[in-house]
Amino acid sequence: MKYLALSMVAWCLVAGCATPRPIPVTRTLTANEEEQMLWRQAQEELNAINASGVLYQDVEIENYLNRIAAKLHANSISPDFSFQIKVVKDPSLNAFAFPNGVIYIHSGILARMDNEAQLAALLAHEMVHCTHRHSLRVLRSIKDRTAAKNARPPRVRELAQLLGITGSIAPLSGYTRELETEADRIGLDLAVKANYDPREILNLFELLKQEIELEGVKEPYFFGTHPKVGQRIENVKNWLAEKYRGKITGTKNTDVFQSKISRLVLDNARLDLRQGRFFVAQRTVEKFLAVKQDDARAYFLLGEIFRQRGRQDDAAAAIKNYEKSISLNPSFPEPHKAMGLIHYKDGEKRLAKKYFESCLLLSPDTIDRAYIQGYLRLCVTNGEG
Amino acid sequence: MKKIIALLISLFLITGCVSVAQERSLKSLPDNEFSVEIPEGWWKPNHINKYLITKDGAFLQYVLIQQRPIDLPYRHTKKKLNQGMLPQEAAGIIIDEIASDRRILNFDVIENAPAVIDGYAGFKILFIYKDRKGSAFKTLYYGFISGDSFFNLRYNAAMRHYFEKDIADFEQILSSFRVVKPKLSKAALEIALDR
Repeated sequence: MKYLALSMVAWCLVAGCATPRPIPVTRTLTANEEEQMLWRQAQEELNAINASGVLYQDVEIENYLNRIAAKLHANSISPDFSFQIKVVKDPSLNAFAFPNGVIYIHSGILARMDNEAQLAALLAHEMVHCTHRHSLRVLRSIKDRTAAKNARPPRVRELAQLLGITGSIAPLSGYTRELETEADRIGLDLAVKANYDPREILNLFELLKQEIELEGVKEPYFFGTHPKVGQRIENVKNWLAEKYRGKITGTKNTDVFQSKISRLVLDNARLDLRQGRFFVAQRTVEKFLAVKQDDARAYFLLGEIFRQRGRQDDAAAAIKNYEKSISLNPSFPEPHKAMGLIHYKDGEKRLAKKYFESCLLLSPDTIDRAYIQGYLRLCVTNGEG
Repeated sequence: MKKIIALLISLFLITGCVSVAQERSLKSLPDNEFSVEIPEGWWKPNHINKYLITKDGAFLQYVLIQQRPIDLPYRHTKKKLNQGMLPQEAAGIIIDEIASDRRILNFDVIENAPAVIDGYAGFKILFIYKDRKGSAFKTLYYGFISGDSFFNLRYNAAMRHYFEKDIADFEQILSSFRVVKPKLSKAALEIALDR
């Protein structure tokens, strides 16, 4: 709540700002007092995020993301800037950059992407926020605005006290329209120079726009602040037509991308299911299965989506997917448990007993064994044993 | 004049003490479709949920008792409870709701098991989590579906010291809990009743 309130205060200030004062961007990064303060604040928040258990721990994915960032960074204006990309376990569509070069991407946005070119476009956008020191520019705008109201310009420390979370005000509350447009424009250029197909950013925008409309959710920061997604799509189309006409080539790296993030896609579908976003979860698992057709966990998850949604015919669809999961990996206990539950609720105690017993045999320490033991007792006392 | 002021101060203090004493000797909660006995020392903070009671302050420990329509949407998951659910399925939705709350960090379920509350088949979940400031909490959450209501009683306390200190009081509250207007659940939650 405190963060929300502070973000709102910051947002009101930021939103009301005039165009942020340009900062000469040089190849060497010289941090002044303001920037050092921003970085210190950012580090404090990063420490809190890293200790919160929200990070998605997968070294292979992190290495992959960092390699793409390095490729994009080769043509950046600040080659001495150091980037670190991390993934947050969150099914919402978001990404944000801290001024010190640490970029967080939500698992939700990664899972929705189709290829590496889309990922590169997103990363390049966030990297420009860092290299072009957008947080510092926002801070200075606030400072100018406050100074205009008072006789004496506020000191950095006073601003920090006023905002509390200055280090992250920009990444968490959105930048101004000018800064977002700059990040889109220069980010697109970085992606092109790194030999990625720039048209993919449009596909990503469109994909996410559809999902935002479908789910009726408030647009997330990356796609929802200034300017609105529709305007950003128009901007990119104009740039492609003007600056890159006849020069649009580049790679998508679809296969590499899908193979690298496949585990994350499934884990994110679990988060969607947890939030009851059945359609999105189903679509994501089906997308995964189109690439990896023999994954027992994916079929089990699809079964769970149907069972928990509970519409007409969903039970039959769930059973079909659980059976497929068991056939692919008979020692995976979860579909056995789920089959037991479906049959138990259907009154088919004999079948339920069979599956519950196999579940306990495969996983004697399963966290809900007390429930299963209870079901088994009832299966026996009801004369079905 | 001094005497009058002294008298007024005394009166103010006395009335204040009476008010605090009344709060701290809380014996029952406002009327609803349940009744519960409150042990000595628990009180209801002002301006907080009317079914929340504490002993040392809500940040250190509290007991929250809720009766909620089963079709009332949750804040963090779109899943809904229904009358035909097994306690295990209802527990799953509660876990999903809590785990999807961004304010709940390092969430970990220690125990998830069937339970009987006032003769109703339900569940109990024991879990730990941290808040954004890094403070660690432990929660024991009991719940069951009866008719079109979902009843739940939860005991939340700072993990260090306070959870163990007042768990016996919570168990006393739990055993005194009664549904006043019982409604037969469609769910034949025979599993827990068998235990």
